[in-house]
Amino acid sequence: MTGAQSRAVTGQHRIEDLLREFAPQVLAALIRRHGQFDACEDAVQEALLAATRQWPSEGIPERPRSWLLAVASRALVDEWRADSARRRRETAAALDPTDHVPAADLAAHLTADLAGADGDDTLALLFLCCHPALSPPSQLALTLRAAGGLTTAEIAAAFLVPEATIAKRIVRAKQRIRETGARFELPSQPQRTERLGVVLHVLYLIFNEGYTASSGPALQRTDLIAEAIRLTRRLHRLLPGEAEVAGLLALMLLTDARRAARTDTDGRIVPLADQQRDLWDTAAIAEGQAVLTRTLGSGPVGPYQLQAAIAALHDEAPTAEATDWPQVLALYDVLTTVAPGPVVTLSRAVALAHVHGPQAGLALLGTLDADERMAHSHRLEAVRAHLLEQVGDTTAARDSYLQAAKMTASLPEQRYLELRAARLHHPGQPSRLTGPVTTHLERDNP
Amino acid sequence: MKYMIMMFGGIGAATQNRSPEWIAGMHELLMKLDTELKESGECVASDSLVDPSQAKTIRFVDNAPVPTDGPFAEVKESLAGYWVVEVDEERALQIASQVVGYTEYPMEVRRIMEHSAQP
Repeated sequence: MTGAQSRAVTGQHRIEDLLREFAPQVLAALIRRHGQFDACEDAVQEALLAATRQWPSEGIPERPRSWLLAVASRALVDEWRADSARRRRETAAALDPTDHVPAADLAAHLTADLAGADGDDTLALLFLCCHPALSPPSQLALTLRAAGGLTTAEIAAAFLVPEATIAKRIVRAKQRIRETGARFELPSQPQRTERLGVVLHVLYLIFNEGYTASSGPALQRTDLIAEAIRLTRRLHRLLPGEAEVAGLLALMLLTDARRAARTDTDGRIVPLADQQRDLWDTAAIAEGQAVLTRTLGSGPVGPYQLQAAIAALHDEAPTAEATDWPQVLALYDVLTTVAPGPVVTLSRAVALAHVHGPQAGLALLGTLDADERMAHSHRLEAVRAHLLEQVGDTTAARDSYLQAAKMTASLPEQRYLELRAARLHHPGQPSRLTGPVTTHLERDNP
Repeated sequence: MKYMIMMFGGIGAATQNRSPEWIAGMHELLMKLDTELKESGECVASDSLVDPSQAKTIRFVDNAPVPTDGPFAEVKESLAGYWVVEVDEERALQIASQVVGYTEYPMEVRRIMEHSAQP
């Protein structure tokens, strides 16, 4: 890469960073003044697109935030002017700001508002984007655009769907928000805790969307991870006393730390037990541990903190064999009481097998057979297959592998399971699949 | 989650003895649903295929691939068109039921595989 190219790439990153930082601030300033979330959001998106077009060639303006604000204000005014019906109505009511406030003045007024922009705006924005009345795909798209400052095209590329699909989702989501009468404000207790739970779940989904992808344009998917961590970090800064926010941030950092080791050169998923641990990101692990240490014991322990603690135990083990399984099991015991569910039981069975042997794990799996919530999951059969293989029941293990392969909706997992079944059918054939395996199906972020 | 909702060639055969009003009603229903799915951002992809009689099937005959005329399955079982929607299963079934409720001809709903390890 030449110096000029490298400067261009750095410049590109700097532009993205600026846009993602300022977009929600500019949006909040506009909403506070005009109260129309959907129109303001469209205007900010216009400004982002203009910046994406102009800044790389013309350079970053001296005051980028004011620039965005001015362009967004102008877009808002243009929108009002175009909407003639609305204009008539508002002129009649003498409320049309375009009649007496030119766009430049409008922006000047708003700059004062920007100065006062604080954390509450970011929070209010996140609560609005993650409104419970929206479907998860809509919550994700709207959060990334309005709170994350991504363009529709960037979101579409990251989720591997057409741009028009994301655009429609955002239009529909904003329409839904208008219908519910949701306001740009912080929800009050007791609703607030519940709503914060939805926000955390949306951030977790964004992270997972980026993290679990083994194919697709890798760079863009990684963007989702960065975005999820950035938004969660911001949320943690605003709500340092919320232990689960810290827990989620730690979980993301401790999980993402293994990214480089998670796929091989062919893009295949490498099970946790087989990962080359010197590829793990020690800085991210240290940061995750620090966040977790500060948090544990500071408030009621929740599922994100516990999952982060489990991820930390894996990250701290120099080798797979050195994993502190008794401690992992103890944490799953707590998780079972705090947030019981079949998926937690399944992960606990894996830990139990490591500590007390495969028979103990199989016995616990037996308790899930009648659980309807597991009826459509391949994971139960996959873990059972591994444990059956360990106790030497190859016939039953093969049946379970094949059953799991039929049930999974994950292409890489299906290939893996079919290979394992075939290997039991043709013993002695050379195979890449060696080493400890039970951790393959253990969700390293359960 | 993404689901593929599939329509089969038989829907053409099923329309043969229907009245023009009935057929027009079916077209209207399909177009309305298609617009609705695209406007809501649920539809990720959709397309229709030419009549199955125009299909060619390549078979392995005498140790070589040989193209022959006609679809692999029977015409009435051959794929005619599809929607790919990003919704939960309940919604996917509800979408297909709207069509089947009118045409009385079966449709298939099947989940699309994820390229990730943890669906």
